[in-house]
Amino acid sequence: MRGGSVGRGKNSAGGRSEAGLSTQQVPGNSRLKETRGGAFSEFTAIDRKSINFDRNAVCNGSPASGQSRSPDFAASYRYWQQSTSQHHAASNFVMPALSPTMTEGNIASWKIKEGDSFAPGDVLLEIETDKATMDVEAQDEGVLAKIMQQDGTKAIKVGARIAVLADTDDDLSSLEIPAEEQPTPESKPAESSSDKPSASNSSSSSQPQSSAPPKPAKKPSTAPPGEGKIQTYPLYPSVQMLLHQKGLSTEDANKIPASGPSGRLLKGDVLAYLGEIESNYAAEQSKRITDLGHLDLSNIKLAAPKKAAAEDKKAEGKQEAVPEPDLEVAIPVSLTAVYEAQERLQEALGMSLPLSTFIARASEIANEKLPRAKGPASADELFDSVLGLKTPKKTSRGSYTPHVTMMGPVTPAARLTKAMDIIDVLAGSSKAAPRPVRSGAIGVGSWDGENIFSLSVKKGEERRARVYLERVKTVLESEPGRCVL
Amino acid sequence: MFKALAPRAARPPTLRSLSARPSKLFQTISPLLAGRISRGYATESEEKDLVIIGGGVAGYVAAIKAGQEGLKVACIEKRGALGGTCLNVGCIPSKSLLNNSHLYHQILHDTKNRGIDVGEVKLNLAQMMKAKDTSVSGLTKGVEFLFKKNNVEYIKGTGAFADEHTIKVNLVDGGETHVRGKNIFIATGSESTPFPGLEVDEKKVITSTGALALKEVPKKMAVIGGGIIGLEMASVWSRLGAEVTVVEFLGQIGGPGMDAEVAKQAQKLLTKQGLKFKLNTKVTAGDAGGEGVKLSLEAAKGGKEETLDSDIVLVAIGRRAYTSGLGLEAIGLETDDRGRLVIDQEYRTKLPHIRVIGDCTFGPMLAHKAEEEAYAAVEFLTKNYGHVNYNAIPSVMYTHPEVAWVGQNEQELKKEGINYKVGSFPFSANSRAKTNLDTDGMVKFLADAETDRILGVHIIGANAGEMIAEGTLALEYGASTEDVARTCHAHPTLAEAFKEAAMSTYSKAIHY
Ligand SMILES: Cc1cc2nc3c(=O)[nH]c(=O)nc-3n(C[C@H](O)[C@H](O)[C@H](O)COP(=O)(O)OP(=O)(O)OC[C@H]3O[C@@H](n4cnc5c(N)ncnc54)[C@H](O)[C@@H]3O)c2cc1C
Repeated sequence: MRGGSVGRGKNSAGGRSEAGLSTQQVPGNSRLKETRGGAFSEFTAIDRKSINFDRNAVCNGSPASGQSRSPDFAASYRYWQQSTSQHHAASNFVMPALSPTMTEGNIASWKIKEGDSFAPGDVLLEIETDKATMDVEAQDEGVLAKIMQQDGTKAIKVGARIAVLADTDDDLSSLEIPAEEQPTPESKPAESSSDKPSASNSSSSSQPQSSAPPKPAKKPSTAPPGEGKIQTYPLYPSVQMLLHQKGLSTEDANKIPASGPSGRLLKGDVLAYLGEIESNYAAEQSKRITDLGHLDLSNIKLAAPKKAAAEDKKAEGKQEAVPEPDLEVAIPVSLTAVYEAQERLQEALGMSLPLSTFIARASEIANEKLPRAKGPASADELFDSVLGLKTPKKTSRGSYTPHVTMMGPVTPAARLTKAMDIIDVLAGSSKAAPRPVRSGAIGVGSWDGENIFSLSVKKGEERRARVYLERVKTVLESEPGRCVL
Repeated sequence: MFKALAPRAARPPTLRSLSARPSKLFQTISPLLAGRISRGYATESEEKDLVIIGGGVAGYVAAIKAGQEGLKVACIEKRGALGGTCLNVGCIPSKSLLNNSHLYHQILHDTKNRGIDVGEVKLNLAQMMKAKDTSVSGLTKGVEFLFKKNNVEYIKGTGAFADEHTIKVNLVDGGETHVRGKNIFIATGSESTPFPGLEVDEKKVITSTGALALKEVPKKMAVIGGGIIGLEMASVWSRLGAEVTVVEFLGQIGGPGMDAEVAKQAQKLLTKQGLKFKLNTKVTAGDAGGEGVKLSLEAAKGGKEETLDSDIVLVAIGRRAYTSGLGLEAIGLETDDRGRLVIDQEYRTKLPHIRVIGDCTFGPMLAHKAEEEAYAAVEFLTKNYGHVNYNAIPSVMYTHPEVAWVGQNEQELKKEGINYKVGSFPFSANSRAKTNLDTDGMVKFLADAETDRILGVHIIGANAGEMIAEGTLALEYGASTEDVARTCHAHPTLAEAFKEAAMSTYSKAIHY
């Protein structure tokens, strides 16, 4: 298990050997374990552990762990509380949470005295919990300015101040001891959630920065503008190499603005940070590559409306696959027989069947087993035969519905006494709805209930459409009774 | 209401072109008609969370994913089988023929020096086709099984928009039904672009679909278009004995995405296998009237004309989005000038509950791209975020040797004025390739000259299609060539060439 590669996102001090890392356990790891498989006991089963921390360590819940963690625990990752005043280097050192369930701990003993300086890796103190006793290691250098809770103090709440730390070059005598920032439960979750890196937005990395030490960074002057980000993933091999070569610690890596996917630190970022390439080069490159990752939906040329497009092509004299215009197939159908049938029905059974029902039923009958459309269905058919799915049938069911145009002029409202359903009017079946009377004045010849039934179809489908219409005609004109059965 | 009854001018009952016209009466009675007609054929069901039109890779993956996420989902497919172009007439059958024709070709030409004496070798084309069909039907049935397993309702029929939330389905077995969806995905795929002036009959003038089902090996075959599909089909029939000529308008084979240096090498190797190429040449006309097909060619930049006779012409000039019959106009959805449905970054059309994925919209027409989009589109529904990185979508040409790439190529980097460096490693220096006696090709990295970040990976070689996965992962993670070079690769494998090419980009290769 590699300490610090997840959770708090800190490897132990940069340049530490892997063997050293592997014996260490950071809370972040435990947290990860718990959320992955509820195996937190593994943490407590090991009796001696070192806790790495540094003053930059802040709550950095990985998205995965953030959900299952209690807010209090999340906030308690802030081992170091920075004095609110940025002019003073002193910072509060609080009781760390060494496990997700830890709420309080005892100070077994301090391992260094007030005024002692410490270097990364030094053990600062030993903390007892109800489960284990653990060493707390420094990851940053500094000075122990003041111990606030002495050896043997019991039941110190996680997040409560236990000491004040200062920078190595601070004058302890003039150091202002910061006020204790007693983290209130309300404020903590908010803070911690904003610390959480969001998958889509790496700019949230600004939060960790706010609690970074006031100590002037050792950044080269060429350091690019922008913010570092705690690396929650294993560092890339090229990055590890560079850090080693340049004597940078893993902690330094967290200060380097990271431009890779999901805030990962790339070789180019380190090179830019070191001033070996232009400071904003890596960031700009990442932006370019991120853009390449999106569909290019700029400059979409919308298809011209169908008609215009067809004309364009004609104008260019192309014989290209111009979509064939739809064809209309039409046939005159007399509805006299239907009207008669309606009347018979009315007289015999007292039942009024609207015209629409006749048409619908006729259409249903006519759609049965229509001859297949000819023409460019060949791709589909070949497809089917390639698959051995079926040999193309000669006929298939249609799904036509006729478009009906009434030919006879109609005298409407004149004799209508009450509002009626159009279907009844059409059908002329109800007593209250007298059959529309043709006004002879407009010359359409002798109107005997003849109407135009039409369909618009693709080229190649004319025969199929015509067969359909003929059948509708036959049913309506000669066998309207079939529509009633 | 009475307007519907108002007299209209008489129309002669003849055939004629139709212009837009109102159909008020039709509208008045159509609900009744619909109700009446569907009775007894299918019952209408409750509203789905998601209705998907098209059961190709995009459609079926979205359906399964949606089922896994607990959505009520239906998938409409008009062909008798799921899997779309890819499983039925695309990736899968073509790879079957490519693999088996390669084996045949190798047994014919490449066994003696390996110490294998083979007797008479005969081609049984019908059996080769059967093997292909077995692979295909196994896979499509597998998808059908996955539908059942993930509670996807499979509706066999042709879908068209009745309104913004309702799809009318003309069922394959007759009758029709309507499905309503809170969300609708359009995944109707693509079809091959026809060549103006040459009507496809799938016998003499064929598309890739016909090329996957030829009954006999043609003597002479002309291929219009030297892109991936054209070259794959050309390889199959050339290996089986046809004399194949590829006519390409551009100055390189493989399409514009292929790195020019790699394309040149591929062309050289394919020529050695017997393919003929006519680059910078356009087909001006075709005549399929006679015995075979006669193509008139002309140098692309004008001038030199010639004719090319063949028994069969394969039209492989690309594919275009397929949306016909969907009734897009009815709900006002737009396509671009190439027929692609217009979407935003989250695959939404201007009706945000309708999304479009796969070949019928923008981006490369690849099955794995369709799959990524399907997954992401469902996650946009259920998780409000989906991930597809269009800069890390690999392309593979399954010829021998294979060609595979991901990211940008040299032409593109030059055009953008990017300062890049190149590192490559030939398979002739790779121990595994040497033991395989299959040493053609190389791995080539393009990395930023300043940051060493990988910008593109281009491979030509026996196993390029598998190896490109590592390049894709590297690109996804923003890796540098040093990161790849410092990652251990097993020995002896072809993948070591990948590592060494990375080494040679940021530093030096060991074995070259
Ligand atoms: C010969 C060939 C080889 C290929 N090789 C590869 C390869 O090696 N690798 C690769 O990545 N890609 C390859 N492709 C491309 C790949 O096949 C496509 O990118 C992929 O199939 C796209 O999937 P899709 O779901 O978007 O569309 P499609 O697979 O085309 O599926 C669309 C489906 O929708 C159905 N449909 C259409 N309209 C309707 C409607 N109104 N109602 C109901 N159903 C409808 C169609 O019947 C079809 O089944 C190849 C293509 C071809 C032609």
